[in-house]
Amino acid sequence: MFVFSSNLRARRQLKTDKLKSSDILLAMQGIVKDFGGTRALDQVDFDVRGGEVHALIGENGAGKSTLVNVLAGHFSDYKGLITFAGQDVRITNPRQGRQIGIAVIFQELSVLPNFTVAENIMLGEETGARWSRKMDRSSLNAQARQTIDLLRFDLDPDEPVGRLSRARQCMVEIAGAVRRNVKLLVFDEPTACLGSEDVEKLFSVIRELKSRGLGIVYISHRITELPRIADRVTVLRDAKVVGTRNIAGCRLSDLTRMMLGHDLTEFFPEKTNRPGKTILKVHGLSRPGVFEDISFELREGEILGIAGLVGSGRTEIARAVFGVDKASGTLEFQGATVPARSPSLCRRLGIGMVPENRKREGNITGRPISENLNISILDRLAGTLGFQSPRRLALQAGRMVERMRIEPPIPKTNIQNLSGGNQQKVIVGRWLAAESKVVIFDEPTQGIDVGTKSQIYRLIMDMACKGRAIILICSELLEITKLADRILVIRAGRLVREMPGPETDEDTLLALCMGKGKSE
Amino acid sequence: MRNDDKKQTVPTLWGNLSFQKLQRASILVLLLILCAIASFNTPTFLTWYNLVDNLFTNTAALGVIALGMTFVMIAGGFDLSVASTTAVCSVVLVLVMNAFSSCGAPAAITAALLVTALVGTALGAVNGVLIAYVGVNPFVVTLSTMLVFRGLALILTGGGQSLQVADIALRNRFNWIYDTKLPVFGHDHQIMLPIVIFLALFALGIYLLKFTRFGHYTYAIGGNEEAAWLAGVNTRRVKASTYALCGFTCSVAAVIFLAMTATAQPEAHMGRELTVIASVIVGGTPLGGGSGGLVLTLTGLLLLQVIENLLTQFDIGAEYRPVVTGLIIVVVVTIDVLARRRGRT
Repeated sequence: MFVFSSNLRARRQLKTDKLKSSDILLAMQGIVKDFGGTRALDQVDFDVRGGEVHALIGENGAGKSTLVNVLAGHFSDYKGLITFAGQDVRITNPRQGRQIGIAVIFQELSVLPNFTVAENIMLGEETGARWSRKMDRSSLNAQARQTIDLLRFDLDPDEPVGRLSRARQCMVEIAGAVRRNVKLLVFDEPTACLGSEDVEKLFSVIRELKSRGLGIVYISHRITELPRIADRVTVLRDAKVVGTRNIAGCRLSDLTRMMLGHDLTEFFPEKTNRPGKTILKVHGLSRPGVFEDISFELREGEILGIAGLVGSGRTEIARAVFGVDKASGTLEFQGATVPARSPSLCRRLGIGMVPENRKREGNITGRPISENLNISILDRLAGTLGFQSPRRLALQAGRMVERMRIEPPIPKTNIQNLSGGNQQKVIVGRWLAAESKVVIFDEPTQGIDVGTKSQIYRLIMDMACKGRAIILICSELLEITKLADRILVIRAGRLVREMPGPETDEDTLLALCMGKGKSE
Repeated sequence: MRNDDKKQTVPTLWGNLSFQKLQRASILVLLLILCAIASFNTPTFLTWYNLVDNLFTNTAALGVIALGMTFVMIAGGFDLSVASTTAVCSVVLVLVMNAFSSCGAPAAITAALLVTALVGTALGAVNGVLIAYVGVNPFVVTLSTMLVFRGLALILTGGGQSLQVADIALRNRFNWIYDTKLPVFGHDHQIMLPIVIFLALFALGIYLLKFTRFGHYTYAIGGNEEAAWLAGVNTRRVKASTYALCGFTCSVAAVIFLAMTATAQPEAHMGRELTVIASVIVGGTPLGGGSGGLVLTLTGLLLLQVIENLLTQFDIGAEYRPVVTGLIIVVVVTIDVLARRRGRT
């Protein structure tokens, strides 16, 4: 059970009087948005008070991004009422949203890397003669400095933005927005690619903004970070609002249930796998500054969960095992030490990995499903003189497409024309076809719809039942607890604890990941 | 972003495909139209002499390099050093033949061919290793090697004079590679050996590209190198191999060129790398790689050569040719960009 400290709330109470921030800043009522025949938002009500962080969560395709895009002014044809700062508004283009005081910080930041912090903050508001080559740098810096100090950010106006970490780049973008008198800031999955230190920095920035009376909309699909940042949370599912809750006193497991809307026993497969003899031994795996002294064993038919916050080093550990990044330590596969590791060597040995970032590391862009499926087994399919029979390739791909139930079931379809879920099925199918003995899944269900998620859980369980060993890395702790036999908890690059999978609940696991567990 | 996933589902697929086909067809149609214009205007255009003896035979050597370049470019790479590599290879051919001329023509020629093939492949491999294993940008690497190899050719010739095979009998035996006519379609319609060499390599190239693991990997690397690496492909080796292959094709081209001109000039072929790259791009292999093919490259090359041939026939001055070639490239690539953009929405 996770009880949130009332400390923050008390502090907010103090400030609210001063800033009148308890007033409703933004109210959206009965928002409806259709894409062709599909309804992306259905009578959605959502409001934000000044000085509040209101989290918006939901599965993929639940409508979070659509709602943000309505706020950002990307759609002109939504239905419903929006009241902002006491006035009825209709936001029909991105400029308008900015003008009335709404800024959206998207995942892809829009800072200019070669410009300095001050130049980025002041972009479009530079004073001085328009065509003179020499900008009045000192006044530019002074004005930017004003905003930076106002927000108590730790930024140097003269530093080029490209040299800053992502969290700091995000701060630059926030400062720019605040300069333009923004009253409502929307963060679209801001922590998706931040390390844990950066996440902390961002959270403290958000708290600072909150204390200044700004309204914050915080979109995420990571429930686990909500208790640390949000005041209220609204859950979207299938384009509708399921409910709005105060975070204080709210259980993670309840939120998960609201998000999924399924009976959990139906959603997750039954645990039928039986761990056998040890197949993989990792000993003293270290990468300076990233993770240290990670040792574990993996058995045939076992699902080993690796839990940890984003940036804890869990992905890097997986990459090191698969030989993507160099790391010291030994790896023993089926009793033999694996010397110089590389992905191609691992593939030949029988180790596979479904990487975290599907678009960047998974999809072979511009190539058909069939080639994406067959890429890891071409040496097995080769005939004399290395001949790759098109017929055999097509047959093999067709079999996998059918088995994975990939939609559309046409092997010639270009992979980027598939939905995220189907793309993931192709990449999982790649290693299924390769009959790898060990498969590492890094966030296998990120960004895919609920139905496919369930299907991927079943596939993972199936593979384990057939004696394959699975390493499962996942931000959604519920998934890990439902699937894994054992769970390794990674915190700040160290293996802190091993938990038995089925008996652990997600709230306990989260506390362990965050370092607030009773074991300390 | 997540929502894009939903938007770009199946319906766009057919639009995409038909556009690609349309674009491919457009180059062929353009080629045919140009040929039609040419044959109406000048009755000599559609003669065996102009097409086969003149146009195809002269294109064969460049075509061979274009084959190698296509592999490099499908894997998302780029090679500016091909003309310099070819120059080095021609020089090496003559030097080795001169050195072995006392051993008799067959031995000298065999030795020269072997050494040249090795040198060409090695020079390509130098590019490949620097690009694939060290990770330097292909433009930078091949721009530098373009200069370095050119310098190498100059050094080997002792400062840039033209070289010839000293032994006249040997020279004539070697020129056989160019002069041999095969009466494939009767004595009026003979085919010269360079065309046969090209066609053989072309067939081999198609086999490599479409029907072997190496070819599949080449496409995969152009599609998404990181993903291919994480799928367990030894992307470095494959990428380096495409450059080595390109170097090898340069050495074959050098053999054809030398047999044609009988002289190895260290400063020959300058600017040819651009013609080769242009024909690959015009054919439809995008600069980022991931798609394209040898047949496409052949169409692109023929298009450029037919235009050149036409310009000669219309007696348009040499000064206008670069303008026309440049415009053609821009137009074709623009069509490609527009088609892709249309296919995406």
